[in-house]
Order: sequence, then structure tokens, then C-alpha cells
Amino acid sequence: MLTLVGCLAPALLSPAEPASVSPHSAIESHTDGAQAGTAKKDPFETIFIRAEHVITKPGTVLDDAAVLVRNGRIVAVGTGLSKPDGATELSGKYVCAGFIDAWSALGVASEALVDQAASPATRTADGVDVFNFDHLRRDALRSGVTSARIQVGATGRVGGLGAIVRLAPGQSEDDVVLSPDCNLWMTIGLTQGSQPLFDNQGELIGIGGRAMDPFERVESVDRLVSTLQAGKNYLIAKNEYKHELEAWQKTITEKETELEKDAKKAKKDREKAEKDATEKNKKFEEKKYKEDKKPTAPRIDEDNEVVARAANGELPLIVHANRVAEIRALLQGTESLGRLRLVIAGGAEATFFSKQLAERRIPVLVWPAPLGRNRPDEYEASDLSLAARLKADGVQVLIGSGGIDPAATRDLPLLAGLAIGAGLDRAAAFEALTIGAARVLDASDRIGTVEAGKDADLLVLDGEPLVSTTRVLNVVAGGRVVALKED
Amino acid sequence: MITALLALTAPLVFAAPPTKSGPESPAKSVAIRADVVWLGDGRVLEKGVVLFSEGRIAEIGTNVSVPAGVETIEHKGFLTAGLIALHGYTGGQAGEMRDDARPAMPNAKIGLVFDASSPDVADARAVGITSLLLTPNAEGVAPGLTAVVKTSSRRLLKDEAHLSLVFNAGGLVSNREPTSLSGAVAMLDQLFAKPTGAVERAHGGSLPCLFEVGEPADVLRAIDFAKRHDLRGVIHGAVLAGEVADQIKASKLSVIVPAIGVGERRRNLKSVVALAKKEIPFGFGLDSPVNNPADLRLGAVMCVREGVDAKVAWNALTSEAARIAGVADRVGTIDRGMDADVVLWSGDPLDLGSRVIAVYVDGARVDGDKR
Amino acid sequence: MKSLIFGLTAAVSLSSGVASMPRDDKPESKSWIIWADRVYTGTGMNFDAGMVGVGGGKIAIVAASRGSDDESSDRILRCYAVTAGLVDASVRITNGASSVEQSNEIQPNLRVANTLDPFAIEWDRQLRNGVTSVLVNPPDLNVIGGLSVALKTAGADTIAERTLKNDAVLRGSMGSEPSRGNHPAFGRPTDFFSRRPTTRMGVEWAWRKAFYDAAAAANDSTRAFPGSERLVQALKGDLTISIQAWATQDIRTAVFLKEEIESQAEFKNGLNKPRMFIDAAAEAWKEPQLLVRAKIPVVLPPFPAAGRTRDNSFMAWNVAEELRKEGIPFALSSHGSAAPENALAMQAGYAMQGGLPFENALAAVTSMPARLMGVADRVGTLEVGKDADLVLWNGQPFEPSSRVIAVIVDGVLRYDARDKAVAK
Repeated sequence: MLTLVGCLAPALLSPAEPASVSPHSAIESHTDGAQAGTAKKDPFETIFIRAEHVITKPGTVLDDAAVLVRNGRIVAVGTGLSKPDGATELSGKYVCAGFIDAWSALGVASEALVDQAASPATRTADGVDVFNFDHLRRDALRSGVTSARIQVGATGRVGGLGAIVRLAPGQSEDDVVLSPDCNLWMTIGLTQGSQPLFDNQGELIGIGGRAMDPFERVESVDRLVSTLQAGKNYLIAKNEYKHELEAWQKTITEKETELEKDAKKAKKDREKAEKDATEKNKKFEEKKYKEDKKPTAPRIDEDNEVVARAANGELPLIVHANRVAEIRALLQGTESLGRLRLVIAGGAEATFFSKQLAERRIPVLVWPAPLGRNRPDEYEASDLSLAARLKADGVQVLIGSGGIDPAATRDLPLLAGLAIGAGLDRAAAFEALTIGAARVLDASDRIGTVEAGKDADLLVLDGEPLVSTTRVLNVVAGGRVVALKED
Repeated sequence: MITALLALTAPLVFAAPPTKSGPESPAKSVAIRADVVWLGDGRVLEKGVVLFSEGRIAEIGTNVSVPAGVETIEHKGFLTAGLIALHGYTGGQAGEMRDDARPAMPNAKIGLVFDASSPDVADARAVGITSLLLTPNAEGVAPGLTAVVKTSSRRLLKDEAHLSLVFNAGGLVSNREPTSLSGAVAMLDQLFAKPTGAVERAHGGSLPCLFEVGEPADVLRAIDFAKRHDLRGVIHGAVLAGEVADQIKASKLSVIVPAIGVGERRRNLKSVVALAKKEIPFGFGLDSPVNNPADLRLGAVMCVREGVDAKVAWNALTSEAARIAGVADRVGTIDRGMDADVVLWSGDPLDLGSRVIAVYVDGARVDGDKR
Repeated sequence: MKSLIFGLTAAVSLSSGVASMPRDDKPESKSWIIWADRVYTGTGMNFDAGMVGVGGGKIAIVAASRGSDDESSDRILRCYAVTAGLVDASVRITNGASSVEQSNEIQPNLRVANTLDPFAIEWDRQLRNGVTSVLVNPPDLNVIGGLSVALKTAGADTIAERTLKNDAVLRGSMGSEPSRGNHPAFGRPTDFFSRRPTTRMGVEWAWRKAFYDAAAAANDSTRAFPGSERLVQALKGDLTISIQAWATQDIRTAVFLKEEIESQAEFKNGLNKPRMFIDAAAEAWKEPQLLVRAKIPVVLPPFPAAGRTRDNSFMAWNVAEELRKEGIPFALSSHGSAAPENALAMQAGYAMQGGLPFENALAAVTSMPARLMGVADRVGTLEVGKDADLVLWNGQPFEPSSRVIAVIVDGVLRYDARDKAVAK
């Protein structure tokens, strides 16, 4: 037998000991701010970040300022802050909010991504994969992307409820999901299925699929609109039922009160009537009070529940559409749904409708990737300048990494750079990757800016964000410093 | 039995053959003053002026006397040599880039297929590419001769840049000789045993070779072949070439890095870092129009972010690429007497956020922002 | 400690316990010392509680004592048993169809070495199973596929640096496999697979024609053809021929071919001395007298679980023991299979199940295949001066419960079960 060389497991720091904390440490025990009941999780560190420029939100920069993070939240931002004892200190040239990939595939299993049988009630959050693709998550963090919106059924006609996940490694499923239902998703007119093909390591190797013919494409828009209408009708039916039920109950209560009031008189009347009947030898008939039939509740339909929420504007609906015919039909078909919050993903030919999109405040989620000869049909008109042209026309622009290749999330800042190089102004690109995305996805109370009260998703940079030569020095995700060092 | 091969001289003929004469329209003399001028190979000039005359760079400096009547363009931004994309068939047609019938056509000139009016050429120009190395598809054993073209007019800069030799299994088909790697090597050995035409020029050292490979094992096979027949040249096609960097370094061959795109595996990017660390000369492959020309600069930026020195990456896009293509005496750097192929950028060209403002080829403005 | 000597050859240096090893400072190639409870040299001599020492890439010492090195030295590896690295005479770590040139059925010139990938993961697998030297054959899709190469399963990054012997063997096949895929030319031929042979008779005809043509070429240089020199070398006995023949009729055909060459007039003048062994001779047990008469050794393919194996041949567990009893030299092989049950060490175990004694089983996976490949001067036994290719076991070798725990190739520790990855 070969003798084994023993190796000692690294000694775990116990909470009672004061820990010597290094700036780039990952999760370490700390006496300060230890949370109660942290049997599974480590307590948060206190982090103090100094920078020459702190971009709190697009257009607002504080010079020579600092950010204080405690218990996972930003507690203070400003000049004149001082570092508390025992806090981890970071410093750099720029500090800004972590980037959000609004169209990502990182964290959802590839089978779920291409699930054609997804329905609106299918929740991406239920299928979040926190174990696989750890290396891709770390790569994304290194580039500054701290959270991503992922989507089950992204290639089907109807996808499920999208979710926003934080890309920090080593967290449990509870910590990872920032928002379990940030949007509903549908596609129209795409190369049928647009099936991404993965090898057995889960790496994207190509996209296959069958192109739809024009009739199918137009039909898919009709189906989308009718789905929304069905949802709206379901909601209306639900509301009507609610009112009817209320009215019915009100009537019953009124009647009961009425009866109660006249109870004595009624009793006397009844006795008299009974006596009369027996005197006259007639059969005594009880006066019957009939209850109105209770209104029937509409059948609970999980899918329609969700679609109703989208139709009602509680959830944004993101529709993946590229061509003129589909976008026109979509805009026409949804005109009557006044409360719908529509977002168009892809939008390669959306500039034809810039005016409408700007008026109806419909943002476009752009995928500014350089496509070559073998691009899917519907991306024929795709150009890197799409984001710039839309913005110039007054349309709000968001930027995502395409939602098919999990590895592309790492390159989100470069994609934004390409859009900038094709004419999009830097501020708009920065907004698209931070508060713009957060606002559209109803997460702006938690992420997207560097302001007190928000979750601590921050980047410490050695240069301006979104300049390709800038390096990310540190990443704080969910209030914890992420170790960026490679093994 | 490997049958004796005929040295084939019939070239691939297509459309309008490019001319070797000067640019279509005679270039006016122009002077450009830019905030930052990258002369190439690491040299930088601040607030420099570059003067073109008759399609060439006539003068460079901070105090250039511009002749009367010559327009001086003030450019707030960077001025650099034009980018050079290696490997691809921009301006060709997919079906024309390979010949199914014969595995060995060493004298076939791919340059004859180039059509400068193709929209793919305009797309390349728009991102700052001024020269391209056209390569026949890596099929068979000796698919032909590469060529260097400019992205304007019908200018063939070099109609015979490399002899392409294929060493990867992807070049084999099952129903035509050779079906095996050993058969391919045997066929190549036979070609070189009695060299004629282009093979003779390669054998003598005057014509470099383009070794088309796939796996690191193919790289070793190609290096061995080059050693046996005393060939020089460049290797293309191995995304993991950096994992055999020591052997490549010893062989003194250069490398064309296969085209890099969004989501590229880290292992492939690390391979480029390894090549740079060993100071192996390399340029970037593009393979447009299959790939979008914007991938050229994107790939270079991704390599820099992985750890390649920015200067090395820039050289790979310009001066080193010119050396690999065999046209370093004409393009790739900004020096007196070189062709006036320059690009004006809104900022640092290695920041993707910088835009192409203007592109000049042979001293004539061919593209760029209208603003 | 008193050293026990059992008639060792003079090359083994022994003194009263002092083992002086040349110090090697390179971290990966230390001068390893293996202390084993059992040392199986493969020469017939085995030691209990012995040692093997390595230096300069060769075996420097084989002794029945432990030597005087400090027990805690990091150059010492302890194990239950140590044997020479296993040798597999029939392996196919190639690039599949692109490793055999099918444009012609007779390709004596083509080297499979040109097609190999030194980074393929199969080398790793062989190494972990204790195999240190292999004969790589081209896929048997041709009648004569080309020249096999003998090489180590680990070492430098290039095939050339790992090669033990270039052009070790001329490889071909009998039976139905070479004709598969060829079709007769009904109507117009569509590709070059429209050719003979289409049956096993045709395969035999192709072999004979190749040799007859080569003999003619040897006598008349105008009749030379590509590869004819190699065939002539084979006829003269300078290049061993390996013929794959699973079924008994194919083995018989190979025997007759050899005897025809040895007897026919066309092969006079020294062209009648072919040396041959038969690979994948699953049915060698059916007509052993032929092999004895023609003096042809065989290589056995993996023992099939249920008896039937390729080309409709049948092979049982006791075939190896039967061949031994008949006096036919044989080696065991994995025949290019990657399945764990077909590993070479398992074959020795199965053969022992069928009655083969341990020493013979050990020889069948070490010294005999080395001899067939022509590299017995370098590998195959634990003898001083041979390449330091060693396998360390945690139990009796070839027992199913035993595992390979370390492999040393050319003096470098290439596999260490304590590491997750192969030690490079």
C-alpha cells in the first residue's frame, strides 16, 4: 500500500475569534454584524469602498466619495464618510452599480431553456441551477455582471415567468433568486424553435431550427394577442365574480337583517296564518324564502392567472420579435390592452416603429452581437447600430447577451461597447445595464443604483465603466466581496 | 496506391480579374492632424500630422510643412494603420473557394475569385479593415495559393502569398484519396519529392506556406513536415495552439489565431495568451463573411482582457499581420513610403466604444462617418 | 539487514544493504525506489520484500532486500506488488477512419504514426490500467493497412519522442472486415469503393497478389510499385507481419499464406523467410497444430463474456491455457477496446480463471508482446538496464480486487493514484 501523505484541512475560524480580514477574501466569519440563526450562512462583512468617482446613478457622479455596506445593504454613500473599525476596505478609481444582463441564459438548465412545453405559469425560479456553470458565473462576475434575468421556455411560443438571479457563487437558492417572477415571455416569428444545440458539457455549439413561413408568423401574432385577451377576459371574469359575490352577499345580509327586524311581526303573522288555515281546513303553506343562486366562480386557471397579471400591467410582457410584419401586428393587436407593459426583445427591424414605441413607452431589449452569414433569418436586418438608432428616435433601449449561450453573459460589457462603438451614447448604455433594466423588471427598489437602502451589488473599477480597457478590481455581490482570483 | 499527380496549372477562374495597377481614382494629397498617431510596433506620436501623396505616406511629424492647396483635416481622436484580417473569403463566393474534384491544386490562385464590389468587402471596410488575406477552404491536401487584397477598388496586393497545405482531419473526405492523415502526408511528400511551380518556390524558401491545422496534434504534424522539407510560414486553425507553444516557438513558424467570437471559451483565449508569452508572432483570423467583420477587433479586445499585452494585440491586428501576409513593406505601419492605408478613430481603437470616423486606402477616403 | 540473494545476474549490484542511487534533482523524475512485498521480475525470479531502483530512466537495481535508504525519504514508493509495465500488442488509439488510407486496399507504405494524437485521452486510460508500451495498429479497414508503431503511453508531447520502434510491424487483416464497404460495380462506379475484394476469398487473393508482385519487383526494378520495398522487407523477414484473423478459417489462410511464401519458387533468393504473428486469433484453439507447424505466435483478443466474438468466432476462458499446453507462444491484448472489462490486466485475470498459471499470464502481458513487437531489449521484464517502466499494485496483480496505484514510464512517475489527475 502506498503511504498517504496526510494533509490538514484548513482550520475554520470560529466566530468568537477576531478574524484578520483581507480585502479580497470571500465569505469569512466576522464578529461585526453577525446575524442571528446563521447556521447555514456566514454573517455579512462590513465593507468600506473609497473611490475617486462614485457613479450613484446615470448622470450623477460623486468625486472622492465612499460607500458603506453593512448586512448586505448599502447604508451610506457620500463624501466625508469614515471607515468603521474592522471593515473590509476596497478602493479604486470608479465605483458603480453591478451590471444586469436582462437577457441571459446563465443559471437555467439548457433543457429548461429550450422547453417548448412551458406555459405562463412555469416558474424559472423553480429550476434555477446553482451548481452547474460555476466557472461561467465567475467569469461573468469578473466582467462586472452581478445579476441576470433568465427565462424558461425562451425558444417556445410562450415562455414562463422569468426570474432575476444574482450571480454570486456559493449561495443557496434562497439567496440567489432576486425576483422569482419579473416578467412573462413570448416569441413570434422566430425560426421555429430556434433550437440551441449544446454539447455534453453544456456548451453552446450552434443554433438549429426551421424557418417559419409568413402565414405561420402572422398566425403566431394572432395567437399571442388572443392569449393576452383570454388573460384579460379571465381577469375581467374574476373581477366580475368578485363584484357579483360581493353583491350577492350584500343582498343576503340585507335580507337577513330585514328578516331579523321584523322577526316578531313575522312570527305573529305566521301564527295567525296557521290558525286561519286550520280554521278553514286549508293546508298551511310555509312562506318560503328562496336564496339567490350563489354566483359561480370562474375556474382557476394558473396560466391565465399569470397572463392576467401581464395584461393588467402587473408584470412586464417581453415579446421576442424582429421583423416588421410581426412587430406591426403586435403593436396593433395590443393597442386595446391599455395596461399592458410591453417590451420588445430583439427588435432588429423595430426602427420602423420608433414613433409608436416612443409614444407607447415600449422599451426594446437589444442583442448587439456581431452576426455573420449564418445568422437566423429573422436577424437579417440586425446591425450593431440598432441601439443607437432607437435611442436617437426616443425609444428606451436595454441591452442583453441574447439569452441562448450561457457563456455570453461574461461578454455583456463588450456587447455594450460594440453598441457604443456603433453610435449609442455611453450614458444610455450604462443606464441600460443598470437602473434601466432594473426599472423595467420592477427590481429598482433593490438593485441598479448605488444608493442607501439598496442591495449591495457594486463594482470597483480602475477606469470608466464600459470602456474595454477598464478592469474590474473588486465585485461586491449581495453584500459580500467576491473572490476574483483564479485558482 | 497513390497515383502520380499532375501539377495542375488551371487556376480557379471567376468574374472580373483584379488589376495590379494603381487605385481606381487618383488620390488627392491630404494631410491629417490627429491627437494621437499610432505609427505601429509601439511607436506613438502626439498631435502628429501625416501627409499623403499619390497614395503613399509622404511625411510624418509634429511640424510637417503641408504644401499649398493641400487640405489639412483636423481629427480629434486616434489615427492608426488600417486593420489586416487574415483568413477568409471576403469578396469571394462560398462555392468558389474549394475544388471538390482534386485534392492537390497547388497552383490554383484564390486571388482570381476576389470581387471588390461585394457588400462583404464594404462591411469589412466599415470596421476599419484595409487589407485581407484570402485563403482557399482547408480541404484536400493542397487547395491553392492565398492572396492579399485591399478593401477597395480591385486591388490585388499580392496574388501569391502562401502555398496552402492541409494537415487536419477536416480536410479529408471518405470517398476520395486521401482518406487518411497518413495518406495526406504521403501525398504531400510526393508533391515535394518532385517540386514544380508553386511547390518548387515553397521548397526553395521563397514562398511561405499556410499550414491548415485543427488539433494540437495536427500542429505537431505540420511542424514536423515543415522541418523535413525546410519550409517557412504560418499555422492556422488550432484554437489550442498555445498548448504546444514551445514546439511552435522552436519551429519559427507564425500563427494565425482562429476567429474569436462572443462567448469564446476561456481555454481558447488562454491559448492566445500562451502564444504571446512565448513571443510567437501571430495575427488574427477573421473568416468573414461567415463571421461578422466586427469580430476582428472584438477578438483582439477579448484577448487583451484575458492577459495579452495591448501592444502585442495591436501589432497582431496590423504590423505582425502584415508580416505574416508578406506585405509588411507596404502596409501595417505608418512610415514614409508605405501605402496610405489609415483609419481615423474617435478614441482608443482597443476600446470597442471607439468608432471608425474615416478609412483611407491608398490615400483615398473610402468609408467612415458622414458626421 | 542481511540481503537474500537468489542467483541474480551480475548486472544487479548488491552490497550489504547500501543502495547508492544516482541523485536526480528534477522534481518529476526522481530516482524512485520501490519497496514491494512481491517483486515479479518476469524472468522467472520473484522476490518477497524486495526493491526496484530507478535511475536515468532505466532500471538500476532489482534486489531481494530493502536497501538502506531512509524510510521517510520521498523517493520511496511502497506497494504490495511491482511488475514491469504491461505491454499491449494490439491497440487502436487512432483517429478512426482518418488513420487508414482507404483509397487502395494495399498500403504497405503508410505509417499510422503520422495520424496519431499524443493528446488523446485514451493514452491516459491505458496508463491508468498499467499499460506502458503499446503497438498501435491502423484500423483494419484495408487488406494491408500500413506500418504500425510501438510507443510508450506517456512521456513527451510528441509521438516521435514516445516512439519505441518506428515501423515495427506491417499490419493487415484476413477475414470479412477488409471487404466491408466495397461494392461491386453495378452500373457505373460511384467512388473508389467500387472495387475488389468483396469477400474473404478476395482478401486472401489481395494478400497473395501483393506478395507475388513484390517478389517480382524485387527481381525486376521496373515492376516496383509504391510500398513494394516494404513488402520485400517483410518477405525477407526484416519486417514482421501482423495479420488479424479471428476465425479459424482465416487463421488457416494466414498459415497457408506463410507456408506458400516459404515454399514457392517465386519467393527464392531469400524472399522466403517471412516472420509473422496472428492478431486477434480467437479461434487459434481449434487448429493449433497448424500454428505449431508453421511456428506462428498469436495475440489473443479480449475474452468475450459469452463466447461469441467478432467475425463469428468463438473463444472460451481456457483458450490461453490450451495454447500454452500446445506450446504456442501467445500474448493477450485489449484489441483497442476502451471498456474497463477489456483492459489488458483483466485479460490476464480471465486467462488465469481458465487455468493459465500466473507466470505465464504475466509473460503474456509483458515479455511476450514485447518480443512480438521487437522491443524486448527495452521493455517487458524487470531487469537492470531495461527501460524503467514499472507498475505498482495494491494487491496480487490481475486479481479483480487489485488496483494499479502507480505507473512509472522511463523513470518518471506518470500516474499516482493519490493525485486526482495524472502526475505529469
